[in-house]
Amino acid sequence: MVHKGFGLARPGILQSLHTFWDMSKKTIVEFSRYPVAFIALFVQVFLIILMFMFAAFSFVAPGTGAEISRQFASVMVYGLIVNLFLSFTVWEVGFSIREEQFRGTLESLYLSPASKFGNLVARIFAVLSWTAAMSAFAIFVVGMLVGGLPAKNILLAFGVLGLTISGFLGIGFLFAAVTIRLKESAQFLVSFVQFFFLIFSAMFFPFSALPRFLVDYVSRWLPVSYSVDAFRSLLIGLPEGFPELMPLNSELVIIVLFGLFSPLLGYLVYRWIERKARATGTLGEY
Amino acid sequence: MGLSVFSHRSSLGVILTVLKARFLIISRYRGSLFLESLLPLVFAAMPILIGVAVAGGDAAAGQNFLANVGTADYKLYMLLGASVFIVVSTMLWIVGFWIRREMEMGTLESIYLSPAKRIHVVSGIASYAFIRSSIAFVAALAVGSLVFGVNPFRGEVYAAVAFLLLGLVPLWGLAFLFGALILKIKEANSVINSLQWVVSFFMGVFFPIAAFPPILRYVALTFPPTWMNQGVRASLLNLSYFFEAWYIHTAVMFVFAAVVPLLGYSIFLSTEKRLKRKEGVGQY
Repeated sequence: MVHKGFGLARPGILQSLHTFWDMSKKTIVEFSRYPVAFIALFVQVFLIILMFMFAAFSFVAPGTGAEISRQFASVMVYGLIVNLFLSFTVWEVGFSIREEQFRGTLESLYLSPASKFGNLVARIFAVLSWTAAMSAFAIFVVGMLVGGLPAKNILLAFGVLGLTISGFLGIGFLFAAVTIRLKESAQFLVSFVQFFFLIFSAMFFPFSALPRFLVDYVSRWLPVSYSVDAFRSLLIGLPEGFPELMPLNSELVIIVLFGLFSPLLGYLVYRWIERKARATGTLGEY
Repeated sequence: MGLSVFSHRSSLGVILTVLKARFLIISRYRGSLFLESLLPLVFAAMPILIGVAVAGGDAAAGQNFLANVGTADYKLYMLLGASVFIVVSTMLWIVGFWIRREMEMGTLESIYLSPAKRIHVVSGIASYAFIRSSIAFVAALAVGSLVFGVNPFRGEVYAAVAFLLLGLVPLWGLAFLFGALILKIKEANSVINSLQWVVSFFMGVFFPIAAFPPILRYVALTFPPTWMNQGVRASLLNLSYFFEAWYIHTAVMFVFAAVVPLLGYSIFLSTEKRLKRKEGVGQY
């Protein structure tokens, strides 16, 4: 069937896959043109780790440094991995839309018959592969610094991470929508939300460091908190007191629901805001 | 050059026009201004929470910090570091992104073709960055003091303000250097993000640079924002200045203020000249 509005294009799964593949290739080609940026990302991860390690050392009682830093390092680095995936998913989707707005190509993209969903997902495909490489690098660096990190229940932890990334896609779609609406301010909102989750989902420290009322009234309401808690608790071997928020089984249920429903909800919101912007003619505005 | 008339007045006119244009643009995005003032709070909160987690409580964190750093007021220490950092970051971010965006929008070459001198256009941008970063500092410190329950006016406040203002001068030079880097390597986003961490690392935003191994410490001491940060902290928290005496600290900052802007601008000019000869400034 040929839709009269699409000329000779045939919308369908195959076309969506082609769009996804071509857009991914385009993103990879774009990234490959800026090798400095690629190296800079690794430097960034290395510096984040070093900075927080140095900060932690400032609070260590004299004579107890190595032991406490190893214990703290495993909590921090596994939280950092979740944070890396969250940051790159949210930042990449939101920022790419902003770039298209700047270049004046967003409207043209929407006038083409290419799949909009494929276009959105393709933006993060390349970045996610590199984030995985950076996570491995982070584990290696911290492991070297503190003399090895615990890595238990790896398969289950990977499952949790997979569902978490799926959930982050939903947040990424939401940010793409927010970018269309808020334009320049969306960048700051993305930064703010990254830091919000960093603190309230206790990505660099255990939840016990947060005041009790913040855990009860903020952290427990964020699905991301359960992802962080379950992921690092599994990898450090579920010692006493971990997971901190709920029993593991209950946390897994929340993570599964987050992984399944967040992308759907995020995409629906994106479509709604995108349609509104097209109707009011503000899609290309910046 | 057409009918352009070059005078001090027209030069000032260019600077003011650029400044006005930037404020007009940012006035369209008020949300970003609000969120910008909140970021240092979050930035300061992270090491505070890490400290509480590592030490095992607020009181123990204060005691351990006193033993390691020289003050028990770790919250104000982190807040000052984060607020000074937002000043540095805003300066670099605004100048770096300005060049990158002109490249992306295809208007950088047009700026080069206009009769206005680049130094005046860039000075307009740098002045805008200076005002924005000063506002960000005041907002961050004010809101941060309320949230963390600390008093930032307990030490030598005038000395702290003097260190801050003196430290802003070399930042102009660093902004030019940064602009040259963006012109050269093009891709700004990741570089800016990474450089922010490099800057905060060498400034000792979350810890004293005395914690560094000797080589890193010497590198950090060649970086002007490190001196600005320590100057502000030393005057407000009664910590020691670099090389102990305040006048040596001030003298070094004066040297930075005299040398870095000239150095930064000359590097910017030579990079620009090379690019114009080889590939043009429009490529991105």
